Amino acid sequence: MFSDLSAQKEGSSVLCRPAFEDQGPVFERETLCYSLCSERYGVGERSFSRQYAHIYAARLMHMRPLLSERAQQKWGSGVLIKKLCDLETGQECCIVGTLFKRMDLQPSILREISEEHNLLPQPARAKYISDADELILEDELQRIKLEGKIDRDKCVTGSVVAIYGAEKNDGKFTVEDFCMADLPPQTPRPALGSDRFVLLASGLGLGNSHADSMLGLQLLVDMVTGQLGDTGEQSGAATISRVLLAGNLLSHSTQDKDASTKAKYLTKKTQAGSVEAIRLLDELLLQLVASVPVDVMPGQYDPTNYTLPQQPLHRCMFPLSSVYPTLQLASNPYEANIDGVRFLGSSGQNVCDIQRYSTMDSHLEILEETLRLRHLAPTAPDTLGCYPFYQKDPFILEECPHVYFSGSAPAFDSKLIKGPDGQEVLLVTIPEFSSTQTACLVNLSTLQCEPVCFSAFSADEDEESEMNVSH
Amino acid sequence: MDELYLDNIDEYVNDHNKIVTYKWLSLTLGVHVNTAKQMLYHYLEHKRKESSPQLHATYLVSGKSVDNGQTCHKVSVVREEQLEDFKSKMTLVVSIHVYSVQKALLRDSGPLYSVDYDAVKDNLKNCSRYSSIRCASAVPMSSVELRQAREKEQAPTSVPENKKPAVNGGASVASKPSAKAPKGIMGMLSFKSTSKNQDGSKDIKPEQKEVAPVTDPPKSKPAAKTNPMANFFGSQTKKADRPIKEEQEARTAVVSEQNQSSQQEEEPEPEPAAVQQKDTKTDSRSKTKRIEESDSEEEKMEKKKRRRIKRPEPDSSDEDVIPDSPQPLETKDPSPKKEVEAAQLSHGNSETKVRKRRRVLKSHVFLDDEGCMVTEKGYESESYSETEDDFQPSKQPRDNFKAKLPSSSKENEKKSQKRSSASSQKGTKQASITGFFQKK
Repeated sequence: MFSDLSAQKEGSSVLCRPAFEDQGPVFERETLCYSLCSERYGVGERSFSRQYAHIYAARLMHMRPLLSERAQQKWGSGVLIKKLCDLETGQECCIVGTLFKRMDLQPSILREISEEHNLLPQPARAKYISDADELILEDELQRIKLEGKIDRDKCVTGSVVAIYGAEKNDGKFTVEDFCMADLPPQTPRPALGSDRFVLLASGLGLGNSHADSMLGLQLLVDMVTGQLGDTGEQSGAATISRVLLAGNLLSHSTQDKDASTKAKYLTKKTQAGSVEAIRLLDELLLQLVASVPVDVMPGQYDPTNYTLPQQPLHRCMFPLSSVYPTLQLASNPYEANIDGVRFLGSSGQNVCDIQRYSTMDSHLEILEETLRLRHLAPTAPDTLGCYPFYQKDPFILEECPHVYFSGSAPAFDSKLIKGPDGQEVLLVTIPEFSSTQTACLVNLSTLQCEPVCFSAFSADEDEESEMNVSH
Repeated sequence: MDELYLDNIDEYVNDHNKIVTYKWLSLTLGVHVNTAKQMLYHYLEHKRKESSPQLHATYLVSGKSVDNGQTCHKVSVVREEQLEDFKSKMTLVVSIHVYSVQKALLRDSGPLYSVDYDAVKDNLKNCSRYSSIRCASAVPMSSVELRQAREKEQAPTSVPENKKPAVNGGASVASKPSAKAPKGIMGMLSFKSTSKNQDGSKDIKPEQKEVAPVTDPPKSKPAAKTNPMANFFGSQTKKADRPIKEEQEARTAVVSEQNQSSQQEEEPEPEPAAVQQKDTKTDSRSKTKRIEESDSEEEKMEKKKRRRIKRPEPDSSDEDVIPDSPQPLETKDPSPKKEVEAAQLSHGNSETKVRKRRRVLKSHVFLDDEGCMVTEKGYESESYSETEDDFQPSKQPRDNFKAKLPSSSKENEKKSQKRSSASSQKGTKQASITGFFQKK
């Protein structure tokens, strides 16, 4: 896509002698109208004294009418929608509630304390699901165990669904069918005349101990800023009208876990690993923002608050690049309108968390599931750190994005899905750059998405055979 | 057409043995990146014609490639010998150009990055000057514009910022007195000790040249550490002549030289009077010790930390620290009584001491010291009636701690012997002070 467009562009080869008359063509960066819509992810008054129950209450209250409507569409307008307290045994009806999955393996600090006598920490696992898990539906007052046609392992705590079925004599609710809120309404995308791109990258992993990935990163910067390639490529790069860095700009290794356990006098003279990494990031951003508007989202390992929504990185950390108006420090989750195309996404914590608590493995599948649940982070107060909101749940999707992404994915993947009301959403999992050397380009006019890979030669390729012999 | 640049490049590559990348060349010669690429190409072509040996080049290739059914735009830096191979793998080649020229064969691409990095770093302010894309909106803001933009930014966030202090208020109020109180005590103590030193030093200065510089200000501590033995012996020999003044000397010496455990061997020698003075001595010692320790930066930091953290709720912290050992009960029983007795001394001081001790054990890696603590508690339980005994245990761990610094365990033994002899001579009237120390 991008390559084809770049190849079509008229470009003179640079494999020739320089002609000093012209200083090379200069392309204008295509700028787009842009508005950041992330206000809802700001945390105004930071009061952490509240309980999390309010989030669930707010979530259910907001979702109930949506799901009732959806249930009527699905099971007919005459469907009986009841609350759990009015439930009668054997009566077929529909109930709207929040799912709760009771999981034995779910790490629990309370359990760790109560079982203090055997102080073995619970092992970290890739998945916390087990066969003993139970699915429970809660509404404002009551809860009921679920069985039947609902995939226990696929569901996660905190999702609001409508179930259809009947309560059996044993007190369990036998589910015959269930439905999710599905995609929210979408504002139609304006027809764009020309191809414009937004480059998405995630997981730059600066401050990593091995700097192999750095040349790749520099190539990325050089490509975007129009230094690499011949004029065809450069004119193509000029159509990249925005760069979005989706979290984990710093490497996991910049977070020294020793800091809390080590004696202060041992660490007194050592500098935090993140200081150097941020300086590096600042220099990198400076090169970018001097040529293209950049949005910077924080991620799990970045120096901002840990709980969602993560607030923008502070501009004081970027003394060089923050003087440019093109640098936009954004929150995570991120929502913006770029030339009429609505972007929404996170740095990937929500997806990774659902991955741990369900059988779903593909980031793309999870991304689609959250969109269908109409909730960005259903597991949020339960297993994912989250600010205790109490009047609203900002993670409920009220408007359907055109591009829905998540960062720090193991691999690039994308998919265009269609909603029941004609919504069209491009799902993108942005791969971790430090391990895959891959970013992706989204074409705003066609909603196509294509990965951009960077590579350089390394000594390993040659030595691989030798290494094998030696081992 | 001036082809001076060929000589330039030749000089960089051959004479300076540099890796010349297009970007480095562009920034060094101040030419457009595309021109730099062409220059490198021209140079390479030129050199190849001359068939001069040993010139390696890397190329940048970009284009469309298909991996596992997924088309992607691939941008790669490849060595010259891989170039054709690489090109054939690509579905569509968009651009090729010389990336770098160098004399040595590059094993991996790491050096390419570092060369560019240095060049870019030197030209950060105008790093996109020679690129071929202009961005109209990417103009650095002036300081005035910046301020305006930030004010605009801050306007909505000012509400939470105002609220923040209120939220944190509780914590800061709690931590403030604890942070200030030690300062006040320290201030008092430092004043006392210096005054003591002043009258003490009058005696010492003419007599002992070795001790005198040490005793002057407590701050000269680090220097004193280097020759503790010399100080000790110097003072000891003179003491035999003038017993009365020796006591004062001993006191001042102890006051000022806490970390020298050898110093403490003086104490038993001027026996009868020294014993009586010991109450005050030990008192002042405990105080001055803290002052001295505060001289070394690290200690100071830690001490402050300790106090600050433990102060607000000493009881609960006690329970937290040792929940499963029987010690808390034992230590708590005597502490209220003794505290009353020692109240006029300074109970704030004793409190901090309690915390300090435990804190040391906890946060330091001196795990073996923890064992010492345990034995100490054991002493304490016995010491209700016999006041000297609890004096001793309270000392010992401190001595251990000190002994660590010069790593002289012998002195420890000596001391403990002397302590016991001294303890037998001491009367019961020191109950209040010993109680105070016992609390530690």
